[in-house]
Amino acid sequence: MRDPMTAPQTDPRPPTDQPRNSLGGGGGEHHERARRSGPEWFARELETAKASEARYRGLLEAAPDAMIVVDRAGDIVLVNAQSEIRFGYRRHELLGKAVTDIIPAGFAERLIADAERTTEAALAQQMGTGIELVGRRKDGSEFPIEIMLSPLDSEEGVLVTAAIRDISVRKAAEAELLEKVEALHVSNVELEQFAYAASHDLQEPLRMISSYTQLLARRYEGRLDSDADEFIAFAVDGASRMQRLIGDLLAYSRVGTQGRELRPTSSDVAVRQALVNLRGAIEESDAVVTSADMPDVMADEMQLVQLFQNLIGNGIKYRRGDAPRVAVSAARRGDRWTIDVTDNGLGIDSQYFDRIFGMFQRLHGREEFAGTGIGLAIAKKIVERHGGTFTVESKVDHGSTFRFSLPAVARALT
Amino acid sequence: MTLQAEHPIPRHVLLVDDSAGDVRLTREAFRDANSTVVIHFANDGVDAMAFLRREAPHAAAPRPDLILLDLNLPRMDGREVLARVKADEDLKTIPTIILTTSDAQADIIRSYELQANGYVSKPAGLDEFEELIRSVDDFWLSKAKLPSRRADL
Repeated sequence: MRDPMTAPQTDPRPPTDQPRNSLGGGGGEHHERARRSGPEWFARELETAKASEARYRGLLEAAPDAMIVVDRAGDIVLVNAQSEIRFGYRRHELLGKAVTDIIPAGFAERLIADAERTTEAALAQQMGTGIELVGRRKDGSEFPIEIMLSPLDSEEGVLVTAAIRDISVRKAAEAELLEKVEALHVSNVELEQFAYAASHDLQEPLRMISSYTQLLARRYEGRLDSDADEFIAFAVDGASRMQRLIGDLLAYSRVGTQGRELRPTSSDVAVRQALVNLRGAIEESDAVVTSADMPDVMADEMQLVQLFQNLIGNGIKYRRGDAPRVAVSAARRGDRWTIDVTDNGLGIDSQYFDRIFGMFQRLHGREEFAGTGIGLAIAKKIVERHGGTFTVESKVDHGSTFRFSLPAVARALT
Repeated sequence: MTLQAEHPIPRHVLLVDDSAGDVRLTREAFRDANSTVVIHFANDGVDAMAFLRREAPHAAAPRPDLILLDLNLPRMDGREVLARVKADEDLKTIPTIILTTSDAQADIIRSYELQANGYVSKPAGLDEFEELIRSVDDFWLSKAKLPSRRADL
């Protein structure tokens, strides 16, 4: 459109004679006036109107969704090609039909609700947040649809435009995903139960092997030849190592299978209990363990004790020469507590940070430090069972900080 | 001679266990702990009840001073043996200790509900097992006062 300010003003007729152009804008009227007369003008106007309608019709037909316009009586007044394809009707069969024939439930309620909304509110509704209903085809079969409604002002009053998307594929994918999640959950539970049953049942025959090789060693050491003594010693050592592994595997699988309900628990009491359990190691190493302002948290108390015991125990075990120090502290972060267990021990090279939480992962030789390498794996599993995260910060020869989060006790309960 | 004075009559223990390895291990441990203890054994619950009631082939069986009972047994399990012993007017005064690998709370609770006199789990290590048998012998066969055996006296 040309700039009205620069347009020549040559038309002598009064403005009231102007034909009304419902699609026209407010600008350029003076400039246009000169041409709005004679058969050429009407032909041109008709062409323009036709072209305009064709453009809107084309837009409607090209829409990827079925578009249906419904009047206030609930009858279909306009449809596009996708509507025919989706619902299996010919266009003339759909026009004049009650919308409830193709969308049996939910549409009428939405119609009323949506007609009362402002246009802005209607436009604010995005397709992704549309409501899910069921569409019914001509042959009676049904399919899931997502529908978005918006009011449309027209000369016949307020109409409702419905954009309808066939979501069969998405619904099938959602159902499949749910199925897979459920299957994964079942598989995890089975795996845990398997680990538990296997480690439990393996203990029995292993106890026999271990007891009798020990009995052999005790009664016959020095009475057979030196090879026999050596072989028996290896058998005894292997059996007792396997007993520790199986015992630890059992302890690990118990975190998931035998855990108790989370309830308000004093982490201060848990730390104290862990220290009682670690008394031997603490006295032997002259360790100093401090803790301050420990909060109440939502936890399985036995597991919380084990968690502190494993972390404080590690701090004492992997010490550097002089008396080890371990500090336990807590800080509130939103609805969770972050708890730090910091030691001044050997520290861990950052390249091993991922490995240390794995099962039976060890960074030292068996001669250097005893243990199967399950401690941190159990600690991590306990934290995860409490919905928390577990991280480590460490520097070789400076010590480590193990940080985990636990749910705080809801205020109403304190 | 002092041993004879403390145990004028040999103590009889009925060990009910289906694992030959465990039975032998228990015998060995008792031999070290107290050589005057006579171990009798039954490898399932039915055999154990026959021994206690002196039914064939145990017609000449002595009344045991102590029963060591495993829970998981073929034919009749330890829970049922325990229930029957404690329901029997004559047998219920015999101290019955559960000696098993299970440390499940459900088993522990059920055993005490059925009037078990004790519940111990078999430790994994040989030293610990021997220590356990020593303490069972020390308490139940030496220190504890037991009802005298009317029938045998």
